[in-house]
Amino acid sequence: MPIYECNEHQFVENIRRMIDISEKFLINRKIDWHDDAKYGPSVLPDPEFQKYSILWFRKSLRSTVVAQVPFIDDFHKRMYDRGENLHASSNLKFPRVSIPYFRIEYSINLWGGTYLFAFDALFNPEILIEKRRGKILGKDGSLIHILKFNPPDENILNISLPKGVMVFDVRNMIKVIDYTSNF
Amino acid sequence: MRHKNRLKSISVYVPIEKVEASLSEIGFLLVGSSTIVANGKFWNKMLYVNKDETISVSEELGDAYPKDPIITICGSKHTISSITKGVKN
Repeated sequence: MPIYECNEHQFVENIRRMIDISEKFLINRKIDWHDDAKYGPSVLPDPEFQKYSILWFRKSLRSTVVAQVPFIDDFHKRMYDRGENLHASSNLKFPRVSIPYFRIEYSINLWGGTYLFAFDALFNPEILIEKRRGKILGKDGSLIHILKFNPPDENILNISLPKGVMVFDVRNMIKVIDYTSNF
Repeated sequence: MRHKNRLKSISVYVPIEKVEASLSEIGFLLVGSSTIVANGKFWNKMLYVNKDETISVSEELGDAYPKDPIITICGSKHTISSITKGVKN
């Protein structure tokens, strides 16, 4: 069974064409979250990197990122010191700070083919200053920057579809090999 | 009276400001945005709502030129034609 990748425009227009001819179909949606160091601070485009500019510094896209101030990554329960290397330009595949994300896959099975539109939605940063205690911060505690990651709103992740178009949530898509064509 | 919503996706080489102006002109409000990664590119995906109609606009982030925002409309026939005209004029 071939799998055809579509972008958002192609996928939505394909759905519209099927609605127009009253073709019966079902859309499958798979959403799961990942934290596999796929997105580190060095590879973020400037408008996204700006959201972290209180904490992080880099000269340009794909250059080394260092901590501007000490901070705690609350999501990964890890503290970073000022000047610490967070993502080296010489090691872009292995950032020391990573941004979690949702992987969203929409697919339609039609006439023996699967039409797929997939994207990743990055978690949104929230930067606060809080009093925290610990070995380095002391028993009485100190004020420190805290980096939190919040998942994006679900309505942003959805493709808005007319009423009557059915979307099924699935855990996984298992590829079935069609041997019948061999006989 | 509520009309049945239709689906339409438009990909046009117009500045995002022109798209936003066209949406606010017909009463759509921005309710949220998120950074997504699709086809190896970073996009700012914005969601606009007006009653039961929704429009998402995805604009590529960074220095890409020319930019071609993807506008996905789930709305009335009137909304679709207004936006199509608005971004093409």
